Amino acid sequence: MRQLGLGLTMAAAGLVMALQTARADEELPIGVIAAQSGSFVSAGNTIVGAANLAAQQINDAGGIKVGDKTYKIKLYIRDNRTDVNVSIAAARELVNDIGVKAIWGTETHDFSVSMAKITGPAKVLQFSGNSSLGAVLDDKAIADDGWLHYTFQSEPQEWQRSGSTAKGVLSLLTPQLKSPPKHSVVFVGNDATGQYLSSHYVKALEAEGQKVDLVQYPPDTTDFSPLLTRIKGMKPDIVHFWYNGDSTLTAFPQALKLGVAPSYFLFGVDPGIYQERSLKADVPVTLSCVPVCWGSSPFPEVKQYFDKYFGLGAAKGPQSSVSLLYYDYFFWYAKALEKVGTIDDPDAVVAELLKSDYKGVVSPVPLVFNKHHQVTFATEVCMVEPNTSDQFKCAVEQPPGAPPPGDNGG
Amino acid sequence: MDIFVQQLVNSLSVASVTILIGIGITLIFGLAGIVNFAHGEFLMVGGMATWFMVGAGMNFFVALVFAGLLVGALGFAAERCLFRFTLNRPMNGFIMSIGLSVILQHAVIRVFNEFQKSITDPVGLVWTIGGVDIIAMRAIVVAITAVIVAITYFGISRSRYGMALRASVSDRDTAELMGIPVRRYVTGVFIYGSLLAGIGGALMISLFPITPFTGSVIIIRGFAVSLIGGLGNVGGAVVGGLVLGLVDGLSAGYGYPEWTDAYSLVVMILILVLRPQGLLGGTLGPKAS
Repeated sequence: MRQLGLGLTMAAAGLVMALQTARADEELPIGVIAAQSGSFVSAGNTIVGAANLAAQQINDAGGIKVGDKTYKIKLYIRDNRTDVNVSIAAARELVNDIGVKAIWGTETHDFSVSMAKITGPAKVLQFSGNSSLGAVLDDKAIADDGWLHYTFQSEPQEWQRSGSTAKGVLSLLTPQLKSPPKHSVVFVGNDATGQYLSSHYVKALEAEGQKVDLVQYPPDTTDFSPLLTRIKGMKPDIVHFWYNGDSTLTAFPQALKLGVAPSYFLFGVDPGIYQERSLKADVPVTLSCVPVCWGSSPFPEVKQYFDKYFGLGAAKGPQSSVSLLYYDYFFWYAKALEKVGTIDDPDAVVAELLKSDYKGVVSPVPLVFNKHHQVTFATEVCMVEPNTSDQFKCAVEQPPGAPPPGDNGG
Repeated sequence: MDIFVQQLVNSLSVASVTILIGIGITLIFGLAGIVNFAHGEFLMVGGMATWFMVGAGMNFFVALVFAGLLVGALGFAAERCLFRFTLNRPMNGFIMSIGLSVILQHAVIRVFNEFQKSITDPVGLVWTIGGVDIIAMRAIVVAITAVIVAITYFGISRSRYGMALRASVSDRDTAELMGIPVRRYVTGVFIYGSLLAGIGGALMISLFPITPFTGSVIIIRGFAVSLIGGLGNVGGAVVGGLVLGLVDGLSAGYGYPEWTDAYSLVVMILILVLRPQGLLGGTLGPKAS
């Protein structure tokens, strides 16, 4: 009888321990909304890739210790099908039905803003890598009762990125040209993001002493030859293919065949893609990545990151580096939760994110959010040696201290 | 002047691929009575197949033939398994084709991936004549299109098959009573139009990269060309393609470039308002029986 009692006691103790262990590994629900189908799929898949890698690494390292509990990240990934209405529906489901504590995404400005109208009132944190959020993240919006109080912009402000890019492109190209470049043409898709981004880039180039013409093309253009012929007639020193890496990869070879300009800049085309496509030009070409390149990683941490990122099965594309606009923030958010000591006080988490910093992969300098919930980091710009596909000279350009004249920063 | 002539040369090559897809649509829509909105995806599949075969080491021009045959076979399967059941209900076929286009897009993403695909210019030459740059591959695309147009035109207007086909469009019941196997002819037209889409895709990827979503963009232009020229009218598709190509090229060069698409669609609307039967006239398209 004593043995039976001892056995029951031990069994009860084991059950209690098992329950405690189970409770120690609680679930931290995090939503990811990204295009896994539709026309933005190449950008959307990078968000999912970054989220999967970060969640796996955090969970494998033991999870997030918040107070006396340990949380494992459980991702709830939703395909927005490149449709704003699906994004809104997904945000509603994740917030209202699943009860996620934070959402990562999405790839476009309009969709992110629409999602923020759901995440904000529900006090769910949102991390979006859209520089165009700068147009709405103002004092009123990020105030305690503001509609973007829980939204964070995980990409630098556009005037910062434009400023560092313009400076990097001109400093790499000028020694390669017979005379200093004076006339630039910015060639960009005529959609909301293209209009917003190019407005800042034009000002940044003007601040560097360039006379700038802006030529916009309809989205989804495939034959750029008429437009490029028009640009050739303008006799530019540099043609800047801005914003859409896929369109740039279509237009650039056509420009080379038509001999449109004595030098080019390709925004968002990774050196890895340039090499993979065996692109070759007999004139100097510069490239920039969003934000650092996988084909020519500037720091060992970045190289290790991309090895792991592609190791999980992510495809190598012109926009793969966009994944770095999302990856670090999982770790930063986890760090903030540990510091706050609860996952159920979003106001305290917001305050902690604003006063803390995080040394991530994307930047050798620790990341900090400014008062408008925006980060700052540098941009990598590379130059391809003429007549080669794999000889790159890269530089990491820091952003300027203030917006250029005529740019209000928003 | 050089720039103006360059724009005219550009317009011609822009028109070529559009003409090719326009002919496929005008035959399937105007003669077979099937509204296949997945025709653009057939072109995309042709381009992807070419990319795959060229990447595996096949000569481009051999890959072009294989792409045409592959997409022709895809057209045969689609017609036999799907569209033949909607011949009397064209709207059902139209909705079904939209579904098919989405399925094909995502099948290609699943098999390959979502990123754009391109091949090295198979010819790689640029001829400069009087200050005008003529890209050799574009000239070849124009030449191949011209040959296909000629074959199709004579096939439809002069051959027994073409006459029988036109007879079955005019009056299907009488044609059947006269012993014309209308259903088999519909299948044949669908296969031939699909084959042209496959060749169009191969030619397209020789000029521009393509993505799984390329088809959904080009299909609008394909329908525009076939309607402007006159449904079922091969010559009309050529004229429609040239009109759109010229409008595209000259508006991009001298108008507001960001409105390029709008100019050509405005021209289409004007033509359809003023000449509902299209510039050269054609059939009335599919009708429910």
